[in-house]
Amino acid sequence: MAEIAATASKRDVGRGRGLVAAIAWRSLWRNRRRTWLTAGGIAFGVSLVVFSMAFQAGSYGDMIYNATSFLTGQVQIQRADYIELSRFEQTIGDATETLRRVEQQAGVLSATARVEAFALVSVDERSFGAQVLGVDVERERQVVNFFDRLSRGRVMAGPDETVIGSGLARNLNADLGDEIVVLGSAKRGGVAAMVLDIVGIFDSGISELDRSLLFVPIAAVQNEFGLGDEVHTIVVRTQVDDSRAVVEALGHQLPEGLSVRNWDEVLPEIRQGIDVDRLGGMFMYAIVLMIITFSIVNTFTMTVFERLREFSMLKAVGMRPGKIVLMVQIEALLLWAIGVGIAMGLMVPLLAWLQSSGIYLGEAIVELAKQYYITDRIYPALGPASLLAAPAVMLAATQIAAFASSLRIYWLRAAAGVRAAE
Amino acid sequence: MSSDIVVSCKGVSRTYQEESVPVHALRGVDFEFARGEFVSIAGPSGSGKSTLLNVIGGLDRPDAGTITVDGVELNGLNETELSDLRLHKMGFVFQSYNLIPVLSALENVEFIMQLQGVGPAERAERAMSMLDSLDIVDLADRRPGDMSGGQQQRVAIARSIVTNPVLLLADEPSANLDSATTEDLLQLLRRLNEERGVSILTATHDPIVMSYAQRQVNLRDGAIVEDSAAKVA
Ligand SMILES: Nc1ncnc2c1ncn2[C@@H]1O[C@H](COP(=O)(O)OP(=O)(O)O)[C@@H](O)[C@H]1O
Ligand SMILES: [Mg+2]
Repeated sequence: MAEIAATASKRDVGRGRGLVAAIAWRSLWRNRRRTWLTAGGIAFGVSLVVFSMAFQAGSYGDMIYNATSFLTGQVQIQRADYIELSRFEQTIGDATETLRRVEQQAGVLSATARVEAFALVSVDERSFGAQVLGVDVERERQVVNFFDRLSRGRVMAGPDETVIGSGLARNLNADLGDEIVVLGSAKRGGVAAMVLDIVGIFDSGISELDRSLLFVPIAAVQNEFGLGDEVHTIVVRTQVDDSRAVVEALGHQLPEGLSVRNWDEVLPEIRQGIDVDRLGGMFMYAIVLMIITFSIVNTFTMTVFERLREFSMLKAVGMRPGKIVLMVQIEALLLWAIGVGIAMGLMVPLLAWLQSSGIYLGEAIVELAKQYYITDRIYPALGPASLLAAPAVMLAATQIAAFASSLRIYWLRAAAGVRAAE
Repeated sequence: MSSDIVVSCKGVSRTYQEESVPVHALRGVDFEFARGEFVSIAGPSGSGKSTLLNVIGGLDRPDAGTITVDGVELNGLNETELSDLRLHKMGFVFQSYNLIPVLSALENVEFIMQLQGVGPAERAERAMSMLDSLDIVDLADRRPGDMSGGQQQRVAIARSIVTNPVLLLADEPSANLDSATTEDLLQLLRRLNEERGVSILTATHDPIVMSYAQRQVNLRDGAIVEDSAAKVA
């Protein structure tokens, strides 16, 4: 008897959580082919969705970064009423101090101030309405990359110099070296007038900007237009991921009446584009996962059907139907784990590698890429959302499929096993 | 003995509705079964033997009459309570498909104790000694698919009595066995009945099975037509 007990406890080693899990696991392998096909389907669907979501998320990061680094920055500060009415006198006073405080905020990488004035610009007999942007080029270069991309000439070096858009130059029939006259109305009435040398021409690819913008050193604009230590906009550079927190913090920090806006308020079309793209992606993922779910439902319907005699015998000997259903759900959990395990085993190393190397989109895409604020090389983002969404959806799908398929166990006659062979 | 009643049936009827034609499987059966008895319900196919075992075992409910098992009236129990009654008080041996195909003999015997909440060490020990006392230790690691019909029935018996049920119900236990194997199996049942005092109720139309029982109840068209206990008493 002692021997038997010894053998018995030795057998028990490693059996762990009991026989329900053992039944579930071994039952999976009664039909290897079907199990591998279903697990393979889960692995395929999860891989596809995880891979696509990672690149989708990665492309948004790039897109946002490129769009905001161009000219708008990631965060902008203006007077709240200026956002609505854009009237020249609606300025941020005490600009130097405000800019200093903004720069001290954690998460702010750099910041610059701008003055915006509407003016009539003329070269010889030709005149056009234009937007004068008073900027500090040295600071601008820390915040945006606009001035790194002049198509001709150079940036302003003195108070009498300007950089103008290619469209504006064409309309004015002006070129580098020409003189341009700027006429506007100063803050307290009166005429603001400047005579400037064109030292640079930009061609941003956005015709709206190219036709209407000219850049002038900020001090000169403030001077001529009768502004003191006043600006219209403070443009802030942050990491894209930090921008929202910076907006929050600055909102508390800065005096009332100032409005701090995140990039998605400044450039709502970027946010909308992302939302539309994300929705389209979601729709595709839903279809992929739904197809996989159908095959899971099919597998479990078959599994339960093939084992009705086993289940009816288990009911007869006193296993509660809920426990039998639970057993099928453990089986589904194991099947899910196999499929997701395969998918993650492949995708996590692959995406981790691609995160450093990226995928080159090819020559054809380069021109297009410039225009749409995307790069010619895309990188995946390995966030929890893109990694966990598909596995989570599949977990729910397998559990629901297993539960729905095994509901009939509740109605199964416990005595069926008795009559089955008659 | 007669004061220690395990099963008592009073006026038990069961009618099946088969394509709107009523089939009276049991018609007012009165029957008492004492602890430690080995009773065989005999009768031709379709006489209601399985139906009687099913209603006594809590697998089916009668349309009329009362059944009391070990002092519990089955009519008053809901499905879950019936399920637990089967788990804790009944042992079942069906004519086929008694075992879980993916579990070994030992695990099959253990599993029923796991359902009862017996801890792993204890159930492994009890399962092993049960196999030992039925002389089937060598089957411990084999799965049902690798056993003969007789071996499977032995494991099923081990499974059904390892929980010390008040009653062992065996419906046509020899249906798929040759006569030599049937004799072995019945000797085992008789031994369990005599040595361990297991109460056994079996339904059969096999004369060999009948010959091993102490008491024989004959069923015809859902009614008891003869009870050997009546003669003995
Ligand atoms: N689930 C059922 N549905 C319909 N009729 C049944 C059912 N079970 C048994 N019967 C009928 O009840 C009668 C008795 O059957 P049963 O108890 O299985 O007899 P036995 O076991 O003696 O062969 C038979 O006529 C049979 O056809
Ligand atoms: Mg029968």
